[in-house]
Amino acid sequence: MKNINARENIAAYSFLLPALILLGLFLLLPALIAIYYAFTDYYLLTPDNTQFVGLDNFIAIFKDPIFIQSLKNVGLFVVCVIPVQIGSALGLALLINKQRRGNMFFKVAFFAPVVLSLVVISVLWLYLLNPSEGLINVILERVGINPQPFLTSPDQAMYTIVFVSAWQGAGYQMLIFLAGLQNIPSSVYEASKIDGANKWQNFIHITLPLLKPTSILIMITTLIAAFKLIIQPMVMTQGGPMNSTITPVYYIYQTGFTDRLIGYASTMTVVFGILIGIVTIIQSKVSREDDSK
Amino acid sequence: MKRKSKKVIEYTFLILLACIFIFPMIWMIASSMKSESSIYVDMGSIQSLLPSLDPSEWFQTYQELFSRFNVFQYIFNSLTYAIVVTLGSIVVNAMAGYAFSKFNFIGKKVLFGLLIALLIVPGETLIITQFTVAHDLGILNTRLAVILPMIANIFFIYLFRNFFNAIPDEIIESVKLDGANYWTIFWKILLPMSKPAIATVGTLSFILSWNDYLWPLMVLTDTEKFPLQVAITNINSTPPVYMNQVMAILTISTIPLIIVYIVAQKYLLQGLGGSGTGIK
Repeated sequence: MKNINARENIAAYSFLLPALILLGLFLLLPALIAIYYAFTDYYLLTPDNTQFVGLDNFIAIFKDPIFIQSLKNVGLFVVCVIPVQIGSALGLALLINKQRRGNMFFKVAFFAPVVLSLVVISVLWLYLLNPSEGLINVILERVGINPQPFLTSPDQAMYTIVFVSAWQGAGYQMLIFLAGLQNIPSSVYEASKIDGANKWQNFIHITLPLLKPTSILIMITTLIAAFKLIIQPMVMTQGGPMNSTITPVYYIYQTGFTDRLIGYASTMTVVFGILIGIVTIIQSKVSREDDSK
Repeated sequence: MKRKSKKVIEYTFLILLACIFIFPMIWMIASSMKSESSIYVDMGSIQSLLPSLDPSEWFQTYQELFSRFNVFQYIFNSLTYAIVVTLGSIVVNAMAGYAFSKFNFIGKKVLFGLLIALLIVPGETLIITQFTVAHDLGILNTRLAVILPMIANIFFIYLFRNFFNAIPDEIIESVKLDGANYWTIFWKILLPMSKPAIATVGTLSFILSWNDYLWPLMVLTDTEKFPLQVAITNINSTPPVYMNQVMAILTISTIPLIIVYIVAQKYLLQGLGGSGTGIK
């Protein structure tokens, strides 16, 4: 036992107090309340009539076609945005990891969209992608491609959101990859050159394995963030057309905040929160095991 | 000869790629500096990426926007929220990091484990019960409701703890012998030694707060308390909607971030866990 004394305990807890109160109020308490409300029919406008309904909500959400649709939508988003965004980030990093005139300009250009907030990119692309008079379709027509409906088509809307999101986020991850690339000592490449390796072999057998810790970190943060997609569909499509871009967090917002069905929304929060938790844990386990091989 | 043509191809490719990343931003700024009708006239020509040819028109849109909406108020609100959140976040998270780094106290391991476990709780899914908590606290539609939930951040506590761990205990022990109390040690010794950590947490807090949209949208009802992000969608849905005015408010809300990114660029990479993607 180290010298634990009363004075040190009191001092430690007084330093912790502000953070603990705030985290307690706005993170732990909401999480616990959500679990509790998930088993009730709490409706914000008639709080006194709240009753325990057991597992009714849990059964209901899995029969709710919009909730199921939202899970499929966010699944599609995650499956697309991860390779597109991380792949572009790695590609861009490899392109500018080189001595060349004007490299700084390219680096700044690729990073530029990161500076824009999600609301700004959503509104901006909403205008650019306007089917009848947006700049993108005007340009496409010039080069002989038919105008596309983009966000107004149930088939294209989610892919459009994938593109806009990857466009915004790739530059940040490019910088992280670049830092990883610059940590690889050039002597490693010189050695493999002596062994007669070509550029492609270098990339597969040296660069990629050495970038692995960086890639895992990027993968996990991107995955968690992607699951929580809400602002882009909220601003650009309101979840439409035909619910093709509604996401779980957005549907939780609509039922809980707009419709005030706190109990029902809490059930989705619990189910979806657990789902994200499981995916996070699996992903960090898998990548760690992979690492130790 | 072959080498030269290879270089030309490489540069052409890089320039085209760069265009994809920057033309929307250039179009945004250019469109805010011309009349509504010339946006449509210029569409598709190179002129669409340039402001009006008549410099006297450059700030006309901004004048119209400021006369229709209380933009100064929105800028003031966003700055207030971001500055208070930034300062609060530095002090509160550094204090907690100090406790975890330099104290032995009952329940330390349990508490730290709990915080790390809470890291995987996806905050954004909790918006509804966070809202009911704010409702029960009676802080809905106040500035406090926007600020308070943004201050404490487990990732920042962790960052400060690691930073303080690297500061040798001997330094602290020696000033303790001189009679300094814990608060003095924290305020006068540790914080001044932690400028890189403070800069990282400060920069990320400022950006997170400046870009926050969903939460202020939920808790605020008075337009005069809106931050810029909420004002953007408000302006974009208040008829008559003029494209050049919308581009002007987008530009205004972006300028402070450009400054922050330029001034604090070297601290951004240290905050990897803070924001992973376009989906923040």
